[in-house]
Amino acid sequence: MANVKCTHCGLIFDESAMIIEEENGKKIFFCCHGCEGVYHLLNSEGLDSFYAKLGNTTLTPPKNSLQDDLERFDMEGFEKKYIKIKENGTKETNLIISGIHCSACVWLNEKVLHKTDGIIEATINYTNNKAKIIWDGDILKLSRIIQIIRSIGYDAFPYDPAIQEEQATKQRRDYYSRILVAVFGMMNIMWIAIAQYAGYFTGIEQKFKDILNIAEFILATPVLFYSGWIFFRGAYYGYRNHVVNMDTLVAVGALSAYIYSIYVVFSGYGEVYFDSVVMIITFVLVGKYLEVLSKKQAVDTLDSITSSIPTEVLKITKSKKELVAVENIKAGDMLELKAGEKIVCDGLLTIGSGMFDESSLTGESIPVYKEVGDTLLSGSICIDTVVQYRVTKEASDSMLHSIISLLEEAVTKKPRIEQLANSISGYFSTIILLIAISTFIGWYLYDGDFEKALIISISVIVIACPCALGLATPMSTLVGISVAAKRGILFKEASFLETMAKATTLAIDKTGTLTHGNLRVVNEKYYNNNTANISLIYALVSSSNHPISKAIKDYILGSGSKINDLQISEQKTIQGKGIEGRYKDSLIFGGNEIFMKEHGVEIIDTSTYSIFYVAIDDKLIARFDLKDRIKPESKRTMELMTDDGINCIMLTGDNEISASNVATEAGIKDIKFNLLPTDKAEAIDNMHKNGDIVIMAGDGINDSIALAKADIAISMGSGADVAISVSDVVILDDDISKVEEAYRISKRTYRAIRENLGFSIVYNIIAVPIAVMGFVYPLVSALSMSLSSLIVVGNAMRINGIKFDKDKK
Amino acid sequence: MSSNIMILMLSVSTFLGALGLLGLLWGLRSGQFDDQSKFIDAARYDNDEDFKDAVAMDEKQKKQREKEKNYRPVD
Repeated sequence: MANVKCTHCGLIFDESAMIIEEENGKKIFFCCHGCEGVYHLLNSEGLDSFYAKLGNTTLTPPKNSLQDDLERFDMEGFEKKYIKIKENGTKETNLIISGIHCSACVWLNEKVLHKTDGIIEATINYTNNKAKIIWDGDILKLSRIIQIIRSIGYDAFPYDPAIQEEQATKQRRDYYSRILVAVFGMMNIMWIAIAQYAGYFTGIEQKFKDILNIAEFILATPVLFYSGWIFFRGAYYGYRNHVVNMDTLVAVGALSAYIYSIYVVFSGYGEVYFDSVVMIITFVLVGKYLEVLSKKQAVDTLDSITSSIPTEVLKITKSKKELVAVENIKAGDMLELKAGEKIVCDGLLTIGSGMFDESSLTGESIPVYKEVGDTLLSGSICIDTVVQYRVTKEASDSMLHSIISLLEEAVTKKPRIEQLANSISGYFSTIILLIAISTFIGWYLYDGDFEKALIISISVIVIACPCALGLATPMSTLVGISVAAKRGILFKEASFLETMAKATTLAIDKTGTLTHGNLRVVNEKYYNNNTANISLIYALVSSSNHPISKAIKDYILGSGSKINDLQISEQKTIQGKGIEGRYKDSLIFGGNEIFMKEHGVEIIDTSTYSIFYVAIDDKLIARFDLKDRIKPESKRTMELMTDDGINCIMLTGDNEISASNVATEAGIKDIKFNLLPTDKAEAIDNMHKNGDIVIMAGDGINDSIALAKADIAISMGSGADVAISVSDVVILDDDISKVEEAYRISKRTYRAIRENLGFSIVYNIIAVPIAVMGFVYPLVSALSMSLSSLIVVGNAMRINGIKFDKDKK
Repeated sequence: MSSNIMILMLSVSTFLGALGLLGLLWGLRSGQFDDQSKFIDAARYDNDEDFKDAVAMDEKQKKQREKEKNYRPVD
């Protein structure tokens, strides 16, 4: 059977599994009724040009799930929190739209919203998929808007932009305008400087030189004082805290070169250095701007978790059930939870039992079975039943809330390891400033000429000006980052390379990082070697959506056995135990050991894996051993890291047995198990207390606080959005050996940084004494400055020659 | 070349450049650059249909404003 593409979402499936329709004599295929519905809706609205715009992008098929939560959007508590009512009676809200894959999706959403009556303004940001919608409250309600968005296969959650986003946007605009001014000034001064240099070698009349000097002066002034304001501010804070930092060096260097050049403009003696003033300011400013950018992205995804929390819950009192705002729920209240709802308050299950998805807490994708008396933690999702529970903690003290507030805090208070260039530049600038002052005093006492003494002392600062020192780090990290990017490792910020090179500990998550994160069948056994019932087993597991059933289904499909289409009736899922059904006259059932014993089937063999037994009537017919397989590169990676002197620790939310199984296989000695997200973060804090510099690698929401707290956070590209946005390094292809490669690149880059810094110090040891003696001719200083920069750049290029473990094989 | 011509050339070209810079700064302050991808991607779908949309949107907003004008509190 051929594989065909779904007409709506573009995903490829087997033809037999598709819904087939005829349109204009042509066959069209859909993978599900959701896709079919959206396709017809778009066609009838005349929006089918969407598919041409979409190109080869694939979409997520729309979920036609049990979403009866629409009324929550119109409740009072919700409106107060997320909807702004404007003076003229129109309402405004901010939504995050999920399911957007490309710009065609944005186009479609905007289009559909524009067509809706009562919507006055709808704009969607192409970058972060956030929408601002203004509508007339008399004509339609927010729930209708959400419904419209859902009807075309996307979903939307309101969020509150006031918290962090507005501030981040403001800061970004501020930096951007400072950069624009700096770049404008720099580019103009550059072409004037070309005329200056040409004039220097070919002879230029002093009156023309004066004009060029003044033009440069006019252009450099706004760059230094507007764009460079950030450095003056940083230097001032440094002064207040008695720290000499990179900002001090940049500010003092630029300012002294500026003052020296002004003196040259008016005395007509010597050469101006306005070009170096604007160059330093512009380059260092762009570097700072990149840091601001990466901070903003983290804020963007944080909003999407906050907005998925329900604002109202169903409270049960003696007489009735009523919806109550989450803030009014106190410990001891009874709440009802429907299938698909997220828990907001921690509590104890009192009536009912069911499966709960705790993946955002433990990272494990397999649902957990809970019955009366078990604790329910907020953040987990009730999958399939209606249960009642007693609240033990108010929402604001509950797990979910503490995760979010910890995460918000951790994003803004990330530990910063002091950069080598920073600490060296601290000493360096102090020493240079002292040398300059003593040069001035020395020359003044020796020569008695105030002006000459001043000029020479300033030329000391200008010569020592952080050209090579300033380039030492950025050039090396730039090359390091590009080498990493070629191997599918994205460093979000240049300084992370240096921090990573200094790391002492690697904390690593189990599921999804060391392992594949989903169950696979590793072993099968057909009792009495009878494989005749394989079609029956296939039919049984096809009836359930549980990860174990799915794994077995995939396994049987992949084994190439011939499968007949059999119908099983009366199929039932028994929570936490297994599935059963009837075929003709016999009962067929599959599940764990307990389930088999309940049915009176004797089990003799044992195994360390999760086992799924299948029996017909009272006879065992087959068993499947399942486990989450470790990634093949895990072991080698851990070996290499340990060889490098890195202490590897596994942090997992899973239980002790499976944790130690994986740890032994991967060769990790140190494990911590049964950890909640907050425990993982605490583990990182404890390592910090011991003075360790920690790399954390993980992929789930449950790892995100720990990731945000670690000095270097590495996330897998397929991980949760939040994990990716709080992390510093992203491994695009989920290959764990890239963790080691990233570390290796960091170390190599760090070596280049140290070599470069060493070189620029040697350069200064030679150049500064010459300047102190007053021998600085413009030609000599220009030559030596560019030569020193070239050496630094050339040395950084050598990073490209790095070798990796994988390539050796 | 006299120095006056040089002053004129430098000041006129810098002034023109500064006008462009001011335009950019204005665009930045009014939020036109907040969305980088819109710059690149939205241009691909720009056609007269979208123009009609924008006009229809404008009319909706005008209607809203008129509604406010005619609105009298119930006495």
